[in-house]
Amino acid sequence: MPPPLISSAEIGHEFGPYDVTIPNARAESYAEAVGGDESPAYGDSLAPMMVVAAALTELIEELGLFSGSLQTVHAGQEVNWSRPIKIGEKVNATGRLSANSVRRGNHFATVNVSYTDENGMEVGTSSTTIIVTGEDL
Amino acid sequence: MVSSRKVGDALTGFSRLVTQDRVNAYAEASGDHNPIHLNESYAYGTQFGTRIAHGMLSLALIAEMLATEFPDTWHDGGNIKVRFTAPVFPGETVETYGEITSIDDSNGRPVATCKIGCKKTDGTDAVAGRATVPLE
Repeated sequence: MPPPLISSAEIGHEFGPYDVTIPNARAESYAEAVGGDESPAYGDSLAPMMVVAAALTELIEELGLFSGSLQTVHAGQEVNWSRPIKIGEKVNATGRLSANSVRRGNHFATVNVSYTDENGMEVGTSSTTIIVTGEDL
Repeated sequence: MVSSRKVGDALTGFSRLVTQDRVNAYAEASGDHNPIHLNESYAYGTQFGTRIAHGMLSLALIAEMLATEFPDTWHDGGNIKVRFTAPVFPGETVETYGEITSIDDSNGRPVATCKIGCKKTDGTDAVAGRATVPLE
């Protein structure tokens, strides 16, 4: 098995675009996972964190981090959001690697992501920092 | 509308039992089926020794608090920045919390900065950081 992308990806490496459009079934699963009596009424809108989570899953897969020999810790997360998103609304996510270093055998990587609607307007951004360990790195 | 919020105001937090069923549902929602969240025999061999909840699930609970507290503005210019400081294991209860630490109205639209996070029942922060939210 070739080494995961995180072993060799350089600063500036681009990810995506990923289609992170959220269908109703996934929105319902999100409500089942997170919701409670005090949850806000989203109506036909989505919690932006769900869009971010969908993009993060795509990123982790492209970085090759679902390999059983690797252990990934989600160390930090930043999210900015500028308008509500509707269930089923087309959203694309594109990422850029802004940090990738090795310290004491651990990979520290940060990926910045931009979210755009069908008109190409940015609706949010996020930044994810992960720490990866494993023999295959 | 002029906001009545002031520095020192506490946000209304809530407790949530993070069950394995919630973790499973979050895997379906996010698409993240990493076995460390879902497969006990796999998770036994990891540094945690058992399954852990997705960190983003805990963050989503904090975002729920902010969306409830600031329903008109959280999704319209809100920002959150956190560190994941301890794993949450299925069966644990976490409690979200928040407090307004400053309000900046120098740009014509007041923006509150809040200390936010969620704690486990032993007082350990699972997630901690800050959020900024427009107040109008």
